[in-house]
Amino acid sequence: MNASLRDLFLSIFFAVVFGIVASGSLLLFLGKNPVDAYILLASSIVRDGYTFAEIFVKATPLILAGLAFALPYKASLFNIGAQGQFYIGALTASAVSLALGESIPALPALVLVVVAAGLAGGLWGSFIGFVKARFNSNEFLISMMSTYVALAVMNYFLRTALMETKHEYPQTDSFAASLWLPTLFDGTRLHVGFIAAILLAIVVWVILQRTDLGYRIRVVGLNPHAARLAGVESGRIYISTFFLAGTLAGLAGVTETNGVQHMLVQGFNPTLGAEGIGIAILANANPIGIIFAAILFGALKVGGTVMGQMSGIPASIIEIMEGFVMVFVILSHFVRNSVEIRRAKLALQRSMAV
Amino acid sequence: MRPTLLKDLKMSSRTMVSPYLELRNVTKLFAKVVANKHVSLSIHGGEVLALLGENGAGKSTIMKIVYGLYHADSGEILINGVEQKIKSPKDAMALGISMIQQHFSLVPAHSVTENIILGNVEGRIDLKHYHERVRELATEYGFDIDPAALVRDLPVGVQQKVEILKALFQKARLLIMDEPTAVLTPKEAINLMEFVRRFAAAGNSVVFITHKLKEVMEVADRIIVMRNGVIHGDVLSANTNESELSTLMIGREMPPFSEEMIVSSSAKPMLRLDDVSVRDTHGAYGLKNASFVVRKGEILGIAGVSGNGQQELCEAICGFRSLASGAISLDNRDLAPLGIRERIDIGIGYVPADRQRDGLVMEMSLAENMVLKSSYGPKWKKWRFLDRTRIAEYTRSKIRAYSIKAPGPEAAVKEMSGGNQQKLIVAREVDSGTKLIIFDQPTRGLDLGAIDYVHKSIIAERNKGKCILCVSTELSEIFALSDRIAVLYKGSIQGIFQKSELTSEKIGLLMAGYSIDAINPSAPEKLKESAQ
Repeated sequence: MNASLRDLFLSIFFAVVFGIVASGSLLLFLGKNPVDAYILLASSIVRDGYTFAEIFVKATPLILAGLAFALPYKASLFNIGAQGQFYIGALTASAVSLALGESIPALPALVLVVVAAGLAGGLWGSFIGFVKARFNSNEFLISMMSTYVALAVMNYFLRTALMETKHEYPQTDSFAASLWLPTLFDGTRLHVGFIAAILLAIVVWVILQRTDLGYRIRVVGLNPHAARLAGVESGRIYISTFFLAGTLAGLAGVTETNGVQHMLVQGFNPTLGAEGIGIAILANANPIGIIFAAILFGALKVGGTVMGQMSGIPASIIEIMEGFVMVFVILSHFVRNSVEIRRAKLALQRSMAV
Repeated sequence: MRPTLLKDLKMSSRTMVSPYLELRNVTKLFAKVVANKHVSLSIHGGEVLALLGENGAGKSTIMKIVYGLYHADSGEILINGVEQKIKSPKDAMALGISMIQQHFSLVPAHSVTENIILGNVEGRIDLKHYHERVRELATEYGFDIDPAALVRDLPVGVQQKVEILKALFQKARLLIMDEPTAVLTPKEAINLMEFVRRFAAAGNSVVFITHKLKEVMEVADRIIVMRNGVIHGDVLSANTNESELSTLMIGREMPPFSEEMIVSSSAKPMLRLDDVSVRDTHGAYGLKNASFVVRKGEILGIAGVSGNGQQELCEAICGFRSLASGAISLDNRDLAPLGIRERIDIGIGYVPADRQRDGLVMEMSLAENMVLKSSYGPKWKKWRFLDRTRIAEYTRSKIRAYSIKAPGPEAAVKEMSGGNQQKLIVAREVDSGTKLIIFDQPTRGLDLGAIDYVHKSIIAERNKGKCILCVSTELSEIFALSDRIAVLYKGSIQGIFQKSELTSEKIGLLMAGYSIDAINPSAPEKLKESAQ
């Protein structure tokens, strides 16, 4: 195997191990044995089919959120607002689902839901790209703040037009069962959205590596000066990249509303966007790597929840672990770099000695 | 003969005492290159040492080690015979070593005095007192500088004097100057040489890093020639000549200039600039009322010290910068309504001066860089995807045609040497520039083999009937390539001449801002004629 590729895998592996050890050591302060806790964690996620399938249920929106960060990242753009794009997608999916009900057959109805949610998320995202292109505004800030606007829009509709018929809670009625995403296995919540998310990760990889649009996205990301002199209009790249990112995050909304909850609840999945960033970083922004990173995070989430229920260890230990893993992954980039330089120097010295 | 003997005698008497600075077996490795390999050299008090070599020969690196910016992987540094560990520029300055970088390290928003005392004073600062001391120091060395002036308002030549004063203020005994004349006009350069001689005469030492043979012969007592990180010669300037030095520097004789060009005055005008003015990044006019015509099959050379409007000119033609006034047309087509991409499409090629910033995507492969300007449009597409097989084949054919040293089309551009990177850009731009190719500093930083190759490519394209604009600060390049020569000074064209009308002295004066009348009062009429 190529030495630098081996370094990449090794460093990510150690980053994960260090993250687990560091967060485990915090358990000592609670008077719990971290080894026992981790054994419990590992055993709890494989204790039955339902729990095991939950890993992939949780991974589904994480894959999409990771892609929503990674794609603009390839153009050197920071999409901190996947959370907001996700809410807009979820809101649109819910509105369309509730409006359609059982009026048209399930398949065309689901297609409509998916298209509408993707488009809504995409348009919401492309606004960020537009103001960046038009006014050179900071996409980091705009995308971050647009999340709060999206949240407020969702809350507004949950208190008005989309509020449940009983008018008690800020949530919608349950969708018609025909609009639920079909499950893959009986007795689990795993739905077709997981397959779709994996396919989308592959599509993103193909776009980036095999199409001229993706090529230009990478050119703009790696060298905006050369891109401009080559006649690449970076403004259009900003807009299309953020549109695609918003679409991906918006589709995560569909997988959650139509795949898992079958309704829209106020303020659900509030950390999806942040986790997406962590997953993208863990995977080095590689779309295929994101699939695996998302599954890892999904497993930690599920395991953490079960562990919390069973042993009295707070489930938030999992979030601490995620945080540690991310920090170590980022640090590992620097370690890898210096290892690389030392290796090159040694090779040089050897060649000089000959 | 007599002064030579005297000089040699002086030198031999000095070698009795231990040298001011001595390097023993210094080796420095960067990740992928050996920057310096077992470099040993010494500098005595009162000596001007020139470190001569092509770009990338390791001259700057070895001096940056002396100045504490880099750290050697092995070897020793001795000052006055005592081994020293120089960990940072602070250590170096404490030992009396000062270095003026190629790119100045001044704070533009601060005054001359503030820049000079930066890092050397603490606590409450009596600015008046320091203004006075800086003024005294400047007068002592004959520099005409206002201590209260802001550095950003000063021309580059004066900024360099500020750097020198900074070193003098720190009581430097060894002054290292990295390519100090690159930014200077010929006259400023002469002044600098005078200072260097004077400074050395007072018992101090100067290291002069350069790749210009002429300067070396003028200023240095002793010359060390470096090539590929290794010392290839250590000679007294009195005992050598330019030809010997150039052989040491490049390992072979310099190639002669290419044969006299045939001027094609009846050919069809392709590129036409009418009264073009362009603003620079700060909003001032970078290019003022430029008018000229470049004909089919002609190379127009643009001479001038860098920063005199060359970049604005190139960028205006390729569409990167909009015109403040005037018009540009190519093949009778007005370029004003066309964006960068449309201009590429109608056949304008551009080899930018800063190849790594403007011409390449360093992290990408050769193949990906080859399609940088043609990713739009159907040329490289198969269905909706880029046809990677065809792009790789195309790249492979260019690698062969331009003898680019690279493992293959999938290798990363950053792994290649500068010369091969430039060849790649030339290969791409020659293909996309079917009517006009702009070369901005086409051979900057290249070794002579690559220079020769690029020059041959430029001439070959001209002979195919393309029209070519060649910007260069190297007079030898201008003379080697151009059919006609335009001289830029402060954004204005000083005149356009047939090559045979100019000598390098004349062009030097034009570049320094002298008008043609002052140089050649007998022939003002001729100038007007050729400028049209």
